[in-house]
Amino acid sequence: MDPLEAIKVTFFQECEEQLSELESGLLAMEQGETDSETVNAVFRAVHSIKGGAGAFSLEPLVRFAHVFETTLDDVRGGKLAPDNNVVKVMLRAADVLADHVRAARDGGVVEEARSQALAAALEALNGEAPLGGLVSDELDDMPGLEFTPQTVSDDDGFGDDFGFTPLAAGVIALEPEGPALRTWTLRLRPQNALYAKANETGLLLRELKRLGDIQVSIDRSELPGLADLEPEQAYLAWTIALTTDRSRDEIQDIFEFVDGDCDLVISAEDFMAAPLETSDAGLDAPFDVMALIQQAQADVQATAAPAAITEVLAAPAPVSASAPVSGPAPVSGPATGTPVAAVSVPSAPPAPTPMAATAAGVAPDAAHGAAAQQATIRVDLDRVDRLIDLVGELVINQAMLAQRVTESGVPRSSNIAMGLDDLEHLTREIQDSVMAIRAQPVKSVFQRMPRLVREVAAMTGKQVRLVTEGEGTEVDKTVIERLTDPITHMIRNAIDHGLERPEVRVAAGKGPEGTVRLSAAHRSGRIVIEVSDDGKGIDRPRVRQIAIDKGLIEVDSNLSDEDVDNLIFMPGFSTASSVSDISGRGVGMDVVKRSIQGLGGRIAITSRPGQGSTFTLSLPLTLAVLDGMVVSVCDHTLVAPLTAIIESLQPKAQDVRAIGPDAYVIAIRDSYTPLIDVGAMLGYRTTPLDPTKGVALLVEGEGGARAALMVDAIQGQRQVVIKSLEANYRQVEGIAAATILGDGRVALILDVDNVVAARRREKARSDAKLAAAG
Amino acid sequence: MTESASASRLQLIENLDLKAAAPLRSELLSLRHTPLDVDASNVQRLGGLCLQVLMSAQATWAADAMPFAISSPSSAFQEALSLFGAEDLQPFVQQG
Repeated sequence: MDPLEAIKVTFFQECEEQLSELESGLLAMEQGETDSETVNAVFRAVHSIKGGAGAFSLEPLVRFAHVFETTLDDVRGGKLAPDNNVVKVMLRAADVLADHVRAARDGGVVEEARSQALAAALEALNGEAPLGGLVSDELDDMPGLEFTPQTVSDDDGFGDDFGFTPLAAGVIALEPEGPALRTWTLRLRPQNALYAKANETGLLLRELKRLGDIQVSIDRSELPGLADLEPEQAYLAWTIALTTDRSRDEIQDIFEFVDGDCDLVISAEDFMAAPLETSDAGLDAPFDVMALIQQAQADVQATAAPAAITEVLAAPAPVSASAPVSGPAPVSGPATGTPVAAVSVPSAPPAPTPMAATAAGVAPDAAHGAAAQQATIRVDLDRVDRLIDLVGELVINQAMLAQRVTESGVPRSSNIAMGLDDLEHLTREIQDSVMAIRAQPVKSVFQRMPRLVREVAAMTGKQVRLVTEGEGTEVDKTVIERLTDPITHMIRNAIDHGLERPEVRVAAGKGPEGTVRLSAAHRSGRIVIEVSDDGKGIDRPRVRQIAIDKGLIEVDSNLSDEDVDNLIFMPGFSTASSVSDISGRGVGMDVVKRSIQGLGGRIAITSRPGQGSTFTLSLPLTLAVLDGMVVSVCDHTLVAPLTAIIESLQPKAQDVRAIGPDAYVIAIRDSYTPLIDVGAMLGYRTTPLDPTKGVALLVEGEGGARAALMVDAIQGQRQVVIKSLEANYRQVEGIAAATILGDGRVALILDVDNVVAARRREKARSDAKLAAAG
Repeated sequence: MTESASASRLQLIENLDLKAAAPLRSELLSLRHTPLDVDASNVQRLGGLCLQVLMSAQATWAADAMPFAISSPSSAFQEALSLFGAEDLQPFVQQG
């Protein structure tokens, strides 16, 4: 990937994180948590997005983020009370900001009217004048600085972005009463990697310029003659005096994307008050600043006293040894225009020592902060998948080794066997840990829902409150990724079809505001997600009539309430009498059901008329391993997913009844359950197994349909690593996947739902045949 | 500094990004030991690497005691120099 693209991808990933921080912060504020920590977190999220977007010249995004940020700043500064109304506007603004981010990422455009309306609403909150040039607004925050507004263009580089005027105004015009202005000295030395990754020093300088007044001087002491110059090697270094009211963190943020690709030292000098009184000579001012910086640096070097520097922040890049150290910075003065090539001062080796010592000693907080930031790393998902794959192989290998040792007759008390037990333990731990890498809280999915609810509520004119529970429940990333669509659809459905309009609710004795509840929890090795509403419930007579009209069921079908409810999962079923904007997008609940099944999950519905409906999704925590019951069928080894098995039993002759030439049912606690001969179904045998000679696994398929699977014998329970059959061979009816057993043989994993459904279809066909014959 | 009649002329391309640095260096080297007039009128973007090349060329020409001029700088070029704190290329710039 193009390095710039790669950085952009990272930026957008971070945007998503910031957006979710933003949303959760705003939701917390909505709940009354308006402490400074929450407000700051919200502010930081918007600020970071704006900062990054600025680096990529994403103008519409920057512009909107700027307005948002300004309003948030007022909240932060106590000028604007974050009441319910304000937070509501901000939540909608967060939605638009998210749209801007996605538009910037995917190349779309955000509906201008909507964006402007929200921007205006935000401005109305903080009383800011309507938005003009973005950056000029920003710079207007700094009284007395004469900047020419810059336009932030859409160019990928900084093509026509050099909308700066030379920095002639300088520090002289600073008003003493302005926000605490400080001058920071930054020493920036790009490494080769910075350029190689398509970053630009110019962009960094431009970003710095947005924070305040900068004086830049270039250090060319290492620049060789043209003949010796390696064109892609970085030789130049810069010393930048930045006068701003921004914090060190905000300055540091600019270098976020070049972390490790440049040597950076930021130090603050608290000498602004005195020099301001003396420097009154217009264009000479920049020189005064530079002179002061030099003086300060000289002081530092002379005394080697860390205390002379109030704050030093070392970038994560190794600072101590490789820090760029020019002595007093070479000064280039735009006002004089004197060539300063000869002025450059050679490196002063003693300098880094006090600087590094300061970084380590005086600013432990900064160091700590940096360490905290590095507590997480981004890893390519492919690498994690590869690791998981390998661990799967390790598990299989370990199982094979254990089996061979057992077969060789080594006693269980021997050292080898005990060592193997330890290995098994360790393997299992490694497997769990590796799986945990991929596990993520469902929060990322849940967080998208408040917005959806707001939008759907607005479109349908219903009042909806979304309650989420169990956001911290963790599940495999692959599962999470595929959860968004089904949950989105179910929530849309719940609001569109489930909840009543406010007046109808009031007439029914309910509050005007409907509640949609979204919850997640771990339950016996699976994740269970519920979407429930307190609406009208499923209109069963209507559902039944529609199913009849569409030919999905016979007119005289005898269906239980549950059966009727489940009709909505049938392909082609749609209860909306008109195709609404919200739910009727050609995607029915059948699609939801299929996608859940594709994840190895089940979906069920319960509904009570007048009280609402609940959709329950039950999903495996991971798609990589499965707890299975290993069984034998005609000398073949099969695995039945443990989650589908309710119990296993040895059928007694008196409990088994034939209901056709080759169909049996078994009586289990007063009810008859179809008996399925797995061996016959998979074609392993032609003569049916005598039920009394085998073992029956009572399983529950989708929608609670039960069946008893006849197998020859049970070998035991085991966690198996799932290997896709589709990817390695092709789809096979009745088989979900395969695994490799300890003895190296491939075992097929039964698709219980499919087996149960196949049996039902077969029965329906034979019933039809019987009916036709009769 | 005056432009000599026999000065070689090098037209800088629009986008002097990282990919342009190596070709720019080669072109400049091929013109070494001749008076050089670098036309910066088309430059829309000047990156750090090309800046290095130009600064190094400037110093090299100076060491060779050869005239080196940058003429007709575009506003983007000038502003980039200002941003980089590299205005000292400016005295060599001839306004075109």
